[in-house]
Amino acid sequence: MNMPAKPVYLEEKLRQVQASGRLAFRSKTLPSWCPGCGYFSVVDGVTAALGELGIANEDAVVVSGIGCSSRFPFFVNSYGFHTLHGRALPVATGVKTANEALTVIAVGGDGDGFAIGGGHLPHAARRNVDITYLLLDNGIYGLTKGQTSPTSVTGFHTSTSPYDNTDRPVNPLLMMLAYGASWVAQGYAGRPDQLQRLIVEAVAHRGFAYLHILSPCVTFDKTARTYRNLDLAVHDLPADHDPSDPMAAMRQAMQSDPPALGLYYREQRPTLGDALDSLVEKAGGRLAGQAAGSAKLRAAR
Amino acid sequence: MSAARHHIVIGSGVAGSQAAETLRSRDPGSRVTMITLSNLPFYNRYDLPRVFRGERDWRHFLVHPPAFYTEQRIGLRRACQVASVDVRRRVVTLAHNEVVPFDTLLVASGGHSHLPAELTDYRHLMHGFGSFEEAVAVARALPEGGHVLMLGGDMIGLDLARTLIATGYRVTLVAGEQTFWPHEVEGDQRVRLLDSLRGVGIEVIDCLACGGVAALEQGASGLAARRVRMRDGREVHGDVVMPFFGLVPSVEFMVRAGVDIERGLLVNKALRTTDERIYAAGDVCQIWSDEEHRYRFYYGWKNVRAMGELAARNMTGADEAFHSAQDEHLEIGQDGTIRSPFWEYQ
Amino acid sequence: MNGTDIQVSICGSAGDGTIAAGEILRNVMAEIGYRVICFDVYPSEIRGFGKCIARLRISTQQAYSLKSRADVMVSLNDSHAIAHVGEVRDYGAVIYERSSIVDIPEGGHISAHLAPGHLPYPVPFREVSEKATGANRSRNIVALGFLAGLYGLPMESFRRAIAAKFGRKADAAEANVKAMQAGYEAGAACFKLDDVSFGPPAATLVPGGTVAMINGNAAVVRGCLEAGIANYFGYPITPATSIMEKLAAEMPKHGARLLQTEDEIAAISATIGAGFAGARAATATSGPGLALMSEMIGLGVIAEVPSVVFVSQRGGPSTGMPTKTEQSDLNIAVYGGHGDAPRIVIAPTNVEGCYRCAGKAFEMAEAYQTPVIVLLDLYLSNRYETVVFPTRPPFAPDMNRRPEKNALGPGYKRYALGGDSVSPRALPGEPDGMHVATGLEHNELGRPSDAGDMHSAMSRKRHEKLEAALRHPDFTTVKRFGDEGPVEVGLLAWGSTFGECLEAMFLAQAEGIRCAAMKVVMLWPFPTEAVTAYMADCGQVLVPELNYQGQFASLVQSQVARPVTRLARATGAPMQVAEILDEIRRLAGRTPGVRRAA
Repeated sequence: MNMPAKPVYLEEKLRQVQASGRLAFRSKTLPSWCPGCGYFSVVDGVTAALGELGIANEDAVVVSGIGCSSRFPFFVNSYGFHTLHGRALPVATGVKTANEALTVIAVGGDGDGFAIGGGHLPHAARRNVDITYLLLDNGIYGLTKGQTSPTSVTGFHTSTSPYDNTDRPVNPLLMMLAYGASWVAQGYAGRPDQLQRLIVEAVAHRGFAYLHILSPCVTFDKTARTYRNLDLAVHDLPADHDPSDPMAAMRQAMQSDPPALGLYYREQRPTLGDALDSLVEKAGGRLAGQAAGSAKLRAAR
Repeated sequence: MSAARHHIVIGSGVAGSQAAETLRSRDPGSRVTMITLSNLPFYNRYDLPRVFRGERDWRHFLVHPPAFYTEQRIGLRRACQVASVDVRRRVVTLAHNEVVPFDTLLVASGGHSHLPAELTDYRHLMHGFGSFEEAVAVARALPEGGHVLMLGGDMIGLDLARTLIATGYRVTLVAGEQTFWPHEVEGDQRVRLLDSLRGVGIEVIDCLACGGVAALEQGASGLAARRVRMRDGREVHGDVVMPFFGLVPSVEFMVRAGVDIERGLLVNKALRTTDERIYAAGDVCQIWSDEEHRYRFYYGWKNVRAMGELAARNMTGADEAFHSAQDEHLEIGQDGTIRSPFWEYQ
Repeated sequence: MNGTDIQVSICGSAGDGTIAAGEILRNVMAEIGYRVICFDVYPSEIRGFGKCIARLRISTQQAYSLKSRADVMVSLNDSHAIAHVGEVRDYGAVIYERSSIVDIPEGGHISAHLAPGHLPYPVPFREVSEKATGANRSRNIVALGFLAGLYGLPMESFRRAIAAKFGRKADAAEANVKAMQAGYEAGAACFKLDDVSFGPPAATLVPGGTVAMINGNAAVVRGCLEAGIANYFGYPITPATSIMEKLAAEMPKHGARLLQTEDEIAAISATIGAGFAGARAATATSGPGLALMSEMIGLGVIAEVPSVVFVSQRGGPSTGMPTKTEQSDLNIAVYGGHGDAPRIVIAPTNVEGCYRCAGKAFEMAEAYQTPVIVLLDLYLSNRYETVVFPTRPPFAPDMNRRPEKNALGPGYKRYALGGDSVSPRALPGEPDGMHVATGLEHNELGRPSDAGDMHSAMSRKRHEKLEAALRHPDFTTVKRFGDEGPVEVGLLAWGSTFGECLEAMFLAQAEGIRCAAMKVVMLWPFPTEAVTAYMADCGQVLVPELNYQGQFASLVQSQVARPVTRLARATGAPMQVAEILDEIRRLAGRTPGVRRAA
């Protein structure tokens, strides 16, 4: 029922957005994605979430790597940094560390996050950097026209695995739980309302929020992660799932493919910024207005 | 180490240095190593009185510049004490536990000054004159025109006394039996000699008359630094006290080597000890004398140098006998001054 | 050099306290008022018996490098010191442990290796330490005490320095002071035969500054702190690690933040992220780390984001020789990266320069919106010098060019062309300044554009804006020393090697050779005009540097059409003054004489 009857064309999309009153966070640049791409739902979700949370445009920074999904910053009316393949998380860590007053959202794809950038995930998670990481998983390298990614299913045929993808895909949710992310959830582009709720919660979470978003590539994947297949496969977490129980979260993450949608895990613990502030206190220093960046800049105008 | 033949010379004085040079020239393919207690390369001990004329730079006392040893390929192990010599293993063990093998060994360790037993308690109140460092130390302790109390007096001390007098210092000699060591002098000659010393300006107190030294003391405040009390109650005051009682051969490290020792190392006329690979030369050895039918010492710069030369020749294939190179008599000149071949050096 | 000019080498193995003894000595000598230059050699092994050498040149006049000959050597471990005793000059001193505990073969004791002109000082370090402290652990301090006593250095200063070093461990401080005292008495009682003597120190150095005994990395840290560093991200790598270690201790005191990242890529990424957010941010690494950072530096160039990267070079490539010095990362610093990616590269030539370049790097990164690489090397990072620091930091706290209010809004051109090519930059948090910084080629608004004329215009912008760095206020890009006007031989050098060049130049001048030396601190953009003018004065140009290829010589020749003579050495050790001098003589047509002690 979430699958659009026909591709949603851009003009129509923009009209919808305008009607929804989320225009403040939409940039004038129209997304370059293919019609029907699941990522539109994510842009919608983010712009809506920022508006809903009352964040000023100038206080939000969207940081991305390279890939289809990493074009994201251009479509949000905020500060943006479109960086290198795989490096969204460390750059976002730098931005947040420099100015805690900023709301920092890192966006990237499955290749960006789990292949080339895989080394940064554990560290962003365990440090509990106070950022949101939206992982837009389409199971393929779309920007370069369809090569195998670390979340491609085994047996998948692409231009770099013409006979078979022999690798087994990673389990992103299980990994992020194991790495110590303090907020872990999964959404689906085909369920935009639920996705938007999850984005709002992720941005509101104080700490490292990991939101895995299943999102079909309508152009290069006609067989595996299609809207049709996903619509049939996805399901919500059981109503009695306790997101404060890490073992339950891990069990759920291991249970099905694709696993259930919803909030797997949530905990409150000190962020990287808190930890760095505690070092300043231990050293007998004075907090030097790290967090005052935004206000300072405004005052300087 | 290489398989080259290794000649070790213990001592870097006149005998040792002469031997090392001769060994080098007669056996060019060999290793030659001098091992010495001295911190400095070979310098002329007979020149040491010059420190009282203000010459305090040891470089001016060197017989050869340091580069000489490098050019001649003569190893110079300074500040090294020999602890023992193992004849069977043919190694020299140094006091710092380094074990050095040799093929032939020349002991030319010379002698060190003798201190009578009754004076050993006062060592800290006296100045030695056995090395450059000691010579400079006493020169530094002595104020200009200062007063030296010389105990005993031997030919080394008397040589120094002449220089001190000539340089404007005052010298009091507390003369005893060794005053003219190593010359043996009879009663009458001794009196004449003491008179001739007075003639060159040395104040002489004859211990044979005053019963000997009773005690040495630190001078009281306001007085000279040192005080010597005689058994007869007399006292002399001076700035420094220097004992000169002749030399005793430095052979401690040879005691367990298994070669024959009387006072010095006993050698035949070829300067060979009772071990065919070990030779001795200089003040450390007693050489068999057919004439006197005893092992005896030969003193004096010329003799010592001749011994070093001869030992080195015999270590490298020769088999020659030692003959005294100088006459050993002490003479009193017409003008009242004394002459000793001991003082003659080049 | 007039007055005191004494080099002391302390040689031992890791665990002998070699470097600690050197540290105490250098601090005391600096406190007394001498100028001191020190460079320690460490083993690559962390523990065990690797060789350590602390070398200190103590002088009354400013010196620019270590001397090739030592005046005094202290051996704390003969097996290492034997190889180096030959560097002691004639009539210099060798102080060593008198006795071995076990039997050693011939040649196992350092006394077997003294040149006939050396003066031996056998000292029972172990025995004195045991007698004074009940343990032999303080042998290094006994040795130091002996040296101090022998040369009549002030015991009281050593007492203070030891107390300061072992401050927290009262037992260790007390034992070491006792060991120092015992060693001192032995030294004072010893007859000094060498001709080494410490004259009075310089009365005052420079008025109006604070004097510190500091190494290159510590000077970098001081520069960072005085320039107001807000964020540091780094990954440990020899020989840059001590920059991070010191910053980790100091930055929180100033409310600033430091994070140890998972690798060098994350370090530079976060640095550039912080720079994008408007913070003064830096990272430090060595050659291998710089290689990993190269892609991200390219992003910094095209996105025009400030960042500062300190690179302390070591022997390479790959892991190479991590504890040896080399100047072989010039190419990767200047050229390393994909695409046309100009950046600013500066290289201090001494410890004070480390401080100035560090602070100025933040100014330049902001002023020209670019990555700035500060090239150090192990020799400079670890070398100690007495430095007079200005009482007030000579660094501007903010050199950002911010947009006028009327330039903001939907049409804000973050990458506006024209003018001096530096476009005003809005920082996150600034209303109406929203834009996307991107690694894609972009138009003036920052929107992706691969139009040919746009790429051409933007490439020109990124190159041209750096030209202004050659005239950056209060910064020395090049400096000429020695004879003015035409010279027979002109030295042209960069980085730590310049000290040896100056020393060689002074010696050449003393021999009547007309000689000059130019240090090039700014390597990119290359100061072509100044170097060309200098080279026009030089009959011959000699370029000494510590790498195999002659990377700097190649850079010079790519910018100035004029042949130079390379003196490129890759030995892992600093250049020898004597070697430079010989080459100057050769180029000046003088017969190379007997190499003399420099």
